[in-house]
Amino acid sequence: MAELDEVIHQPLRLRIMAALTALPDGQGLDFTQLKKLTGATDGNLGAHIETLAKAGYVAVTKAFVGKKPQTTVTSTAAGRGAFARHVATLREIIAGSGR
Amino acid sequence: MIDSQQASEALADINDVVQRVRQSRIYRISGLIVAMWGVLLFAAYIANYTWPRQGYTIWTATNLTGLVVSIAIGVFTNMRSGGKPFPIRSLITFLLIGAFGIFCSVVLGNFGPRQTIVFWALYGMLFYAIAGLWFGYAFIAIAICTTALTLIGYYYIDAAFLLWMAVAHGGGLIVGGLWMRRS
Repeated sequence: MAELDEVIHQPLRLRIMAALTALPDGQGLDFTQLKKLTGATDGNLGAHIETLAKAGYVAVTKAFVGKKPQTTVTSTAAGRGAFARHVATLREIIAGSGR
Repeated sequence: MIDSQQASEALADINDVVQRVRQSRIYRISGLIVAMWGVLLFAAYIANYTWPRQGYTIWTATNLTGLVVSIAIGVFTNMRSGGKPFPIRSLITFLLIGAFGIFCSVVLGNFGPRQTIVFWALYGMLFYAIAGLWFGYAFIAIAICTTALTLIGYYYIDAAFLLWMAVAHGGGLIVGGLWMRRS
C-alpha cells in the first residue's frame, strides 16, 4: 500500500488542497475565499499555504486589485498528482479494512 | 499510518470542501446572471411606467437581451472551465420554460398587463425556488422574498405598481445577485 503524503495529510492542508484541486486546472482561489471555504484563520492559513508552497504543491501569486493587495493560491501539477495519490491511499485503507 | 475510521473522516472532509467550492462557483456565476437580470428588469419596469404604450416592445427587448447575455455568460464560464463551449441543454431549458410561459400567459390565460407582469415574476421565482433545492438556499430566499413582495404589490399597490415592481423584482434580484456573489 502507498504511504500517505505527510505534507497533505494535516487536516487544514488537506482542506486547502481539496478546495484548490476542485477547481479547473490553472484556476486559483484568493486568500479570503480560501479562508471561508476551509474555515481557517488568517495566521493558520498563511502558515499552511507556505508549507504547501515549499513542497511545490501550490503556487502563490500576489497582485494589486485596485489599491488592495490580493494573494491568489493555485494548485500545481505536482500538487494535483500528490493529492490524487493521497486520496487513492485513503480509499485503499478503507477498502483494506472491508468497510 | 491511520486506520479506516480516520481515512473515512478525511474523505468526508474532502467531499465537504469540494461541495463548498462547487456551491461557491455556482453562486458566483449565478449571482452575476441574477444581478444582470435585476438591472434589466429594473430598467424595463421604469421604462414601462414612463412609456406604458410601449410595453410589448420594452419587454420583448428586455427578455431577448437577458437571454443573450445569460447565454454569453454561460459560454464564457464553460470555456474558462474547460467544458463544452455552448451550453445547449441550458439554452433548450430556457426556451422550454419561456415557451410554456408564453403559452400560459397569452394563449390559456389571456392576462391583462398587470396579471402578465405578476405571472412572469412569480413564474421566474418558481424556477429559482426549484434551483435552490439543488444549488443552495440563496435561490430559495430570493424566490420567497420576491414572490411575497410581488403579491403585496399586486393586491395593495395601484398606480405605482410598476415602480413597486422595479424595486421589489428588479432591485430584489440585484441585491440577491450581489449577496450570492459574496456568499
